[in-house]
Amino acid sequence: MAEPLIRMQNIRKSYGRVQALEDANFHVNEREIVGLLGDNGAGKSTLIKVLSGAVPLTSGDIFIRGKKVTLRSTSDAIAQGIETIYQDSALVTQLSIARNLFLGREPIKPPRFLNRMDQEAMNTVARDLLKQVGISKNIPPTTPIGSLSGGERQAVAIARAMHFDSDLIILDEPTNNLGVAETQGVLSFVRSARDSGHSCIFIAHNIHHVFQVVDRIVVMRRGKVVADDIDPKTTTVTEVERIITGMSDKEIRDAVADGKPSH
Amino acid sequence: MENHSLIQRLIARPEFGPFVLLVVEIGVFWGFNHDFLSPQNISNTLAFTVELGLIALAMTLLMTSGEFDLSVGSLFGFSPVLMWTLFNSGVTSLEMGFVVALVVAALIGLVNGWFVTQLKIPSFLVTLGMLLVVRGSALFITDGFPQRTWSAEGSWLAEALVGDFFIGPFRIYMSLFWFIAAAIALGYVLTQSRTGNWIQAAGGNPNAARARGVNVNRVKIGLFVLSSLMASLAGVISSLRTSAANPNSGTGYELEVIAMVVIGGTALTGGRGTIIGTVLGILILRVMRNGIVLIGVPGLAYNIFIGAIILGMMALHSWLERRHQAGT
Repeated sequence: MAEPLIRMQNIRKSYGRVQALEDANFHVNEREIVGLLGDNGAGKSTLIKVLSGAVPLTSGDIFIRGKKVTLRSTSDAIAQGIETIYQDSALVTQLSIARNLFLGREPIKPPRFLNRMDQEAMNTVARDLLKQVGISKNIPPTTPIGSLSGGERQAVAIARAMHFDSDLIILDEPTNNLGVAETQGVLSFVRSARDSGHSCIFIAHNIHHVFQVVDRIVVMRRGKVVADDIDPKTTTVTEVERIITGMSDKEIRDAVADGKPSH
Repeated sequence: MENHSLIQRLIARPEFGPFVLLVVEIGVFWGFNHDFLSPQNISNTLAFTVELGLIALAMTLLMTSGEFDLSVGSLFGFSPVLMWTLFNSGVTSLEMGFVVALVVAALIGLVNGWFVTQLKIPSFLVTLGMLLVVRGSALFITDGFPQRTWSAEGSWLAEALVGDFFIGPFRIYMSLFWFIAAAIALGYVLTQSRTGNWIQAAGGNPNAARARGVNVNRVKIGLFVLSSLMASLAGVISSLRTSAANPNSGTGYELEVIAMVVIGGTALTGGRGTIIGTVLGILILRVMRNGIVLIGVPGLAYNIFIGAIILGMMALHSWLERRHQAGT
C-alpha cells in the first residue's frame, strides 16, 4: 500500500502526570476526509495540536509522505503543508478578506524596497477563491471579516488553505454554532477541497455532520485510537456512538432510558 | 445616485467624525474671535502642534498593534537634556550629542518592547515603569535644573530641524515638513505596505497573525523603538526651537498624545488605526487649547473640554461601529 500523506506513530503526550495521548497511531491518506471522533478528553484536540505544531509531543514520530518531520511551531506545520482552522481564531476580524487570505504572504509590487502590497492582485485572487469555495453571494474581497457570518468565515479560512496548497486541512469543530444552511455550505467547501486534491481531518461533536462528509472515521478513547477504519457508508451512527463511549448496546439503551446523553 | 453613495462612503469613514468636529471647532473659535485665523496665531499653534504630532504619529502605529507607550513624555524631556549635557560638558559636538540621544532612545524602546513581548508584561506597566526611570534619570543628570541651550545658533542640526522662514505672512518652521513627511511615510506604511498589514493583524488577532508566520514580537518591538525615537526627536526639536532643555518638560504629554490618537479613530484595543484620523485628532486638541484661551475661557478649564471631546468622540466611534456591523 502506498505511503499515506500523514502518518503519526506511537504518539505520546503527557501534561505533567496526565497522559493525554498513549501510543496513538493515526494516518490520513491523500485526497481523503477523515472524521476524528471521541468524547471530551479522549485526546482528539491534543492529537490535532501535536499535528498542527501547537504543542510538542513527548515521544513518537510524524511522517509526511514517508518522510520524518519535526513540527516545532504552527508556522513549521504550515510550511509542511498542514493548515489548522479553528473556528473564529484563524482570521483577523478587522482586516479585509483579501488581506486575511494573504496575511504573512502578501505579494509585493515592484520596486521591492517600497514593500508595497499588490492589493489589486490580492483582490483578484480573493474574488476567484470565493467563487471556488462556492460562496454564492457577491461579497467584495475588501469586506472586513468582522461583517461576515460564521460560515462565510470558515469558507475564507478554507479558501486560504486551498490557495496556499496545504496538503492537509484540519477543521476543528467547523460546524459549531452554525445554522443548517451554513453547515451545508461548510460541508460542501470541505468536499470541494478534497475534490481539488487536499486531504482533511474533520472534527465535530455532531456525528451526523461527520457522517455526511467523511470517507473514513477514526475514533479515539482515553488517549488511544480505538478504531481507525470505520466506513460511514456501512456503519450506523449508533454503532459509532457505541465505539466512542465504549459501552455495550444495553448500556447505551439504559443510559438513554435514564435520560442521560449517550455521547 | 453615484454621488449619494460617495457621500455615504465618506460618512462611513472613521475619519469623518473627527473631521466634522475640527471644522466646527475652527468655525466656532473664528466666530468668537477673528484673530483665531490670523497668520501669527496659526504659525504659533502649528509650531508646537507638530512636535506633539510626531509622537502621536508613531503612537498610532503602536496602538494599532495593540500596545501603547506611556514613556514618550519622559523621553521628550530626557533626550534634549542628554544632548545638551553631552555638548555643554564638551564630550561631543551638538550633532553627535543628538545621535547619542537617538541611540539611547532606541535602546529604551528596545527594552520596552523586550519586556512586553518576551516577559509578557502589559505595556501599561512596562512603559509606566520606564516613564519613571527616564524622568528620574533626566532629573538626576541635571540636578533638576534646566540646561544651557544658547549655543545652538548656526548649527546645521538646528537649521535642519527648526530653521524658520516666512511664506507670505506665515512663519514656518522646518519641523512642519518633518511632520508632514512622517505623516505621509507612516500613513503609507500602515495602509499600503505589508508591514502595515502585519501591524493591524498583530493588534487585531495576534494568534492568527503568528499562525500565518508573522513575527508579531518583532513588529511590536520595532514600533516601541519607533515610538521612543519620535518622542526623542520631538523633544530635541522643541528644545532647539524654544532654546530650553528642562528635565521636567513633556510631563503629561503621553496622555495628551494617546487622546489625540483615539479621538482620530484608532482603537485603543488595537487592530484598527488611521494616520489621517490622528492628524485630525492632533489638530482638534491643539486648536482647542489655543482657541479657548483666545476666546477668554480660563486656560485651566482646558481639560474639561478635552475630556468632553474624548468622551463624545468615543461615543460616536462606538455608535458608528455598531451601526456598521448591523448594516452589513
